[in-house]
Amino acid sequence: MSTAIKIREINKSYGELQALDDINLDIQKGEFFGLLGPNGAGKSTLIGILGGLVHKDSGEVTVLGNDIITDYRKTKKSLGIVPQEITFDPYFTVRETLEIHSGYFGIKDNGDKIDELLNALSLDDKAEIGPRQLSGGMRRRLLIAKALVHDPEIIVLDEPTAGVDVELRNSLWEYVIQLNQQGKTIILTTHYLEEAEALCDRIAIMNKGKIVKVDSKENLINSIDKKVISVKFAAPVKGFEKELVEIDFEISDDQRQIKIESAKKNLNKILKKINDLNLDIIDMDIESAKLEDVFIKLTNLGDDDN
Amino acid sequence: MTINTITFLSLVKREVSRFSKVAIQTIFAPLISTGLYLIIFSYSFQNREVAGYGIPYINFIVPGLIMMSLIQNSFANTSSSLIGAKYNGIIIDFLLAPFSHIELTLGFMIGGMVRGMLVGSVTYLVATFFYGGAVAHPFLAVFFAILVSSIFSLFGIIAGLWAEKFDHVSIFSNFFITPLTFLSGVFYSVKGLPGIWSEVSLFNPVFYMVDAVRYSFVGQSDIAPAFSALVIGSLVVILLVIVTYLFKIGYKVKS
Repeated sequence: MSTAIKIREINKSYGELQALDDINLDIQKGEFFGLLGPNGAGKSTLIGILGGLVHKDSGEVTVLGNDIITDYRKTKKSLGIVPQEITFDPYFTVRETLEIHSGYFGIKDNGDKIDELLNALSLDDKAEIGPRQLSGGMRRRLLIAKALVHDPEIIVLDEPTAGVDVELRNSLWEYVIQLNQQGKTIILTTHYLEEAEALCDRIAIMNKGKIVKVDSKENLINSIDKKVISVKFAAPVKGFEKELVEIDFEISDDQRQIKIESAKKNLNKILKKINDLNLDIIDMDIESAKLEDVFIKLTNLGDDDN
Repeated sequence: MTINTITFLSLVKREVSRFSKVAIQTIFAPLISTGLYLIIFSYSFQNREVAGYGIPYINFIVPGLIMMSLIQNSFANTSSSLIGAKYNGIIIDFLLAPFSHIELTLGFMIGGMVRGMLVGSVTYLVATFFYGGAVAHPFLAVFFAILVSSIFSLFGIIAGLWAEKFDHVSIFSNFFITPLTFLSGVFYSVKGLPGIWSEVSLFNPVFYMVDAVRYSFVGQSDIAPAFSALVIGSLVVILLVIVTYLFKIGYKVKS
């Protein structure tokens, strides 16, 4: 797998604020890559540098082997960036917007691609109307269509589902997964960690301008030694607390359910204790760590450093 | 430095389509004020001749009024397009697309020139009803009109990039463009100004533009048209360099 984006020693500051601090990152061709971090972590600044919206102070970025400064024409053609903020040109209809945008990327007569995008993003019946008449979700779809109109190799989605209803979110992901399966590289930033967990192959977690961890989704999740055991009993568990004295557990208001968070090595001991209660168990569930746990751990770790 | 024709022409097309979609505001509204000037001056000074020119006053002011329309509309087009793009957030479309800095400069500039030339041409057509429509050097008139519209389109780009809100553009318009235009000899001959004022007018670049176009129309001018051409040509080159540089550094559009 060859490298789609190579980022080396990128620094960017706004006055006293170090927005990006010595960022190094490789994103491979065909990857579905997640860029996660709390607000102000530097994700959008990094994407801004990639797209030529933000000046970097130092460092080097290449896109498909081309430098973003010296070969900016090539790199911009390779990138399709969906910005976080919804913007639209009020003078032009949806179709006109996409035609003009195709032209910006040097493409004439792009009708087939435009039709494909309008169809994929369910904008066919809105093609001839102005963006002022579109709902927020439709404007977001238009933004995505604009970023894809030149058929870029690398698609960067900066919070694409913020404020978007569930139906659109699902249809958008279906389309993005399809693009990824066609070989497109996808870079996603999102606040919805479950989306990143479901979609991304590899994830970088940023905090305070630094990349605190980059790894495969599985490795990141496995790095958290946590299991959550939920047990539902037929009768209230009250009176048995002393049996579970060594275990840290939460009990529900009706006292029929307990939830225990534990390290993997204690699983056997805990299950044995529960069994020793000799109560009727009507349901049981064991959950592994989630990306959210990794995210919280790594971004808190950043706080501890200060 | 190569220019991608499709990329560049798409920007020109976008700029021209933008003002065409609101033609009542961008093309026809400016004609109202110019038409009123023509009506008022043609009837108020119908028997008056301009000192040193020996031509009716209306013949004298028509080139100036055409220039005024052309200047204001070239400036308005690029400045409003850019401040509008910043306001709507679509300025990033121009940054994310593979435009070279010169393509952005020329694309916006030509959009402004088309509007300026269009309004200037329609002003001329209206003016023909008032003075007959004679033009002494038509090719020279078009040549100067192209140069002047490019200057104010470029100036409008600077204003649009600099401005952070619409009010800022009107600062340029009200405090620079309008005074410089009104004091450039649109309505009077600078030669006839008393004392130091005729010398002061030579520091006003718009004076050279109005004077050169007046030469093209009536065959007479306050100063030699070749010198005006030199001043105007130099301004075009200087502004082209400045605007291209501003796009290169992403002045007020890149962080």
